[in-house]
Amino acid sequence: MKRWSTLVALSAIAAPLVYGLIAIPPRGAAPPWRDLAAAYGAGNGVAAVVLGARLYDTLLEVLVFALAMVGVRYTLHPLGRWREPAIPERGVVREMADVLLPVVVVFSVYLAASGHLGPGGGFPAGAIAGSGLLLLAMAKGVERLSRELHEGTLELLKYGAIAVLLVLGMTGIPLGPRGSGFLVLYNLLIGIEVTIGTWVVLHHFAAHRGEI
Amino acid sequence: MAGLAAAALGIGLVILGFGALALRRSLLWKLLGLNVASGGAILFLVALSHRPGARPPLVGYPADAPSADPLPQALVLTAIVIHFATLALSLAYAVSLTERLHTQETERIEEAAEEEMRR
Repeated sequence: MKRWSTLVALSAIAAPLVYGLIAIPPRGAAPPWRDLAAAYGAGNGVAAVVLGARLYDTLLEVLVFALAMVGVRYTLHPLGRWREPAIPERGVVREMADVLLPVVVVFSVYLAASGHLGPGGGFPAGAIAGSGLLLLAMAKGVERLSRELHEGTLELLKYGAIAVLLVLGMTGIPLGPRGSGFLVLYNLLIGIEVTIGTWVVLHHFAAHRGEI
Repeated sequence: MAGLAAAALGIGLVILGFGALALRRSLLWKLLGLNVASGGAILFLVALSHRPGARPPLVGYPADAPSADPLPQALVLTAIVIHFATLALSLAYAVSLTERLHTQETERIEEAAEEEMRR
């Protein structure tokens, strides 16, 4: 009974979507994004939209991201701390982390710094740097990496990055396009923010699992 | 038409995810189904930004060639990050709930909630 009613509901959702897909009119050329990109000094249409015309959207999104990370932290923190079994060194992973980590970090900084000219940007850069931290955590153990990273400094860096981003961004729309240097700055700050957010998720999900 | 196949795949993923959301009993499976549905919506939007023979929206390509629409791609960029953040938050809540009730079955979670309301 439940299965059939679910099937009916799902086809009721699917039918208009599929009809819209079949009856879709041939789409015209893309809007003239080249003028927008030239005005903001970007070489990438997506960066011109995200960091230029729709900058407030991006700022609020970064704010939502930071809020969700704070929520993860304070939801998982009261749970019991999971004692990590003491494994001295994980040979292969450790060696590979030594080889791969410089490449990952350089690539992530490159993506953040050149995101306004080509494919890239702050969000992918932050995700890549975060997965570099994941690799390091697998090699060293989460607890040791957490002690080496100085959580207090990370918190300060995270909230400082958001504050600078909000102050710079709020003046962004009224003052109009201000050249490509600001796009690089936005991308780097977003990259820092996303990296630390990814680390917070990784650390808290690994260290506070509770007892089930 | 190119791009329509990807849009159809996106719709399929949304239906699959909603199906898992409705039929599975475990909270974790429901969250993962929602995740799959969200991925389908993202794929649908990206497919709609495609044009026949389109190049990526970068300045280096010749100006007279057709290019993909950058606006849906920009929307999707924000959607992906929000998707990640909300998934992490909901999984954290699921972990916390499991710690308290020692179950992930939604029916038993509802029973426990009703019992708590009566008290």
